[in-house]
Amino acid sequence: MMNRLRRVLIAVALLIVVFPYAWVVISSIKSQADLSDPTRLVFTPTLVNWRAVVEGGILGSAATSVVVGVVTVVIALISGTLAAYSISKLRTGGDKTRFTVLLSEMMPPAVLVIPLFFLALSAGVRDTLFAVIPAHLTFVVPVVTWFMIGFFDAVPDELEEQARVDGYGRVRAFSKVVLPQVLPGLGAAAIFAFILSWNDLFYALILAGGNTRTLPVAIAGFNTFRGVELGTMSAAILISVVPVLTASFFVQRRLIQGLSGGGVKG
Amino acid sequence: MAGIRLERLTKRYGSKNVVDGIDLEIAEGQFTVLVGPSGCGKTTSLRMIAGLVEPTSGRIYIGDRDVTDLEPKDRNIAMVFQNYALYPHLSVRDNISFGLRARKKSKAVIDERVEYAAHLLNVRELLDRKPGELSGGQQQRVAIGRAIVRQPEVFLFDEPLSNLDAKLRVEMRTELLRLQRALGATMVYVTHDQEESMALADELVVMNAGSIQQRGRPQDVYDHPTNTFVSTFIGSPAMNLVEGEIASGVYEGRGIRIAVLDGLPGPVTLGVRPEHIHFIDDLPKEEATEPFEALVDVIEPLGARAMLSLRVGGSQPLRAVVDSRWLGGLIEGEFSEFVFDRNRLHFFR
Ligand SMILES: Nc1ncnc2c1ncn2[C@@H]1O[C@H](COP(=O)(O)OP(=O)(O)O)[C@@H](O)[C@H]1O
Ligand SMILES: [Mg+2]
Repeated sequence: MMNRLRRVLIAVALLIVVFPYAWVVISSIKSQADLSDPTRLVFTPTLVNWRAVVEGGILGSAATSVVVGVVTVVIALISGTLAAYSISKLRTGGDKTRFTVLLSEMMPPAVLVIPLFFLALSAGVRDTLFAVIPAHLTFVVPVVTWFMIGFFDAVPDELEEQARVDGYGRVRAFSKVVLPQVLPGLGAAAIFAFILSWNDLFYALILAGGNTRTLPVAIAGFNTFRGVELGTMSAAILISVVPVLTASFFVQRRLIQGLSGGGVKG
Repeated sequence: MAGIRLERLTKRYGSKNVVDGIDLEIAEGQFTVLVGPSGCGKTTSLRMIAGLVEPTSGRIYIGDRDVTDLEPKDRNIAMVFQNYALYPHLSVRDNISFGLRARKKSKAVIDERVEYAAHLLNVRELLDRKPGELSGGQQQRVAIGRAIVRQPEVFLFDEPLSNLDAKLRVEMRTELLRLQRALGATMVYVTHDQEESMALADELVVMNAGSIQQRGRPQDVYDHPTNTFVSTFIGSPAMNLVEGEIASGVYEGRGIRIAVLDGLPGPVTLGVRPEHIHFIDDLPKEEATEPFEALVDVIEPLGARAMLSLRVGGSQPLRAVVDSRWLGGLIEGEFSEFVFDRNRLHFFR
């Protein structure tokens, strides 16, 4: 009885999760005419939408997103990891810090975007990646920090101390002994950070919505004055979503561990 | 190899002196054990010697070198932690050779020393495993091996046996002693286990609340404790303490009266170890104190010996450990006559 109920619940949950994706996949291979009737399930698949998307420069936007994501991740990993180490092991700022790290996440992006916009303007980098990357760092660095605190907490202090007694200075003890212990966490943090950057529309739209468009900005562009171009938009959404899904699948366990992050230790 | 000297060594956390100005000479080539209850500052002291905790004040010397301001890596010490602290990502071989590689020793030297240590500690067949695949006892051996290959001036141990089960603990204890004798090394060992401390120590240092209470050879500390803390902390079951008073050459406390030759008048605490309480007939008259009557509350047979819980005046029972052969017709709940060994009394003021 319980078993049956469980199966039904799982089936329902699956349906809720899978349905939108299935819908998008189907929409991306429907012709304009078929799209006008959403209930039509029998149709001739077509690649027009995909061709349109590729020719419309979506891949260029995807490349832009990759560049923004990678640079953001590299900077965020370096600063976030060092910050997390300091908060976890050196107790920098006391226990307060470990819980206030995420505070900036609660700030509405609208608060930050105006100063960032003017900063970019006066620095002459508006509508370039140099405007978008710092904006992304404002929400990626705290998350990476939070994420890594939990992984550093799990490394016994004695390991580093042992290395220091054995002949390493602080820097080498950190990089050669402590860091290898948190490497799996670092990998998960990198992917998570990349996804955060990859998905951002708000900052990218306002700070660089012109020539250097990231993928979400380009996708939003399908909402044209002629109405929403559902077919091409669906194809573009798939381009955007598939890497994210694949990556999350491979790191899901670490992801959960990391998200409970700094909260584990009191 | 070298001795260690601590001068007015102090560590303050907040407003509390966790280690409170200790002076200590640790002799070269000896097994010195710091023992005391949990939280008395043993680990903090050891970690200051290692350089992992910065002293609030005081100096630390290893040999003739003032090492107070040196990094741990520059102190030429090796340390074994309670949780072994093996590097999980390295093989046993790489764990053991870690310190040598960090110091850029030649491959020949590394191989030779690793081989020697692995042989000495019986971990040769484990060299290519990862720490996660070892039992607690094996991890312990590897941790000790990692210390040995360094050939440091001083070995520091922080409760290295407390994660092992009782049987293994006693075995490793013997092995550690054998190792110390073989290497002739200076070893400083921290434990809260008084029995372990007695078994291992050439020199025993008893600590409480951040201060050294007494130091000396274990047997001397056992036989001549200088205060009530040491007297009850060292030895099991603990020494009996009876509050009383000396007046005109007679000690009196809880109904027990003892003539004392040179006792200064005033309040005093009498200390008697459980094995120094006897049945009245078991001790020659001239060695015994005046007999006193006590209610035999509980008899706990321990094999060759038995522990008695005796009630005299007051709430705290006296514990006596007697040879089982003399138990005879002793019955719980009845009174019997006892004496103390006159030569084994302690008076604490
Ligand atoms: N980093 C620290 N911050 C604050 N208090 C500490 C710290 N390390 C140890 N203490 C305190 O110092 C006292 C002695 O600790 P420790 O040296 O570890 O004792 P032991 O090893 O004898 O059990 C304890 O009360 C402990 O709580
Ligand atoms: Mg301790």
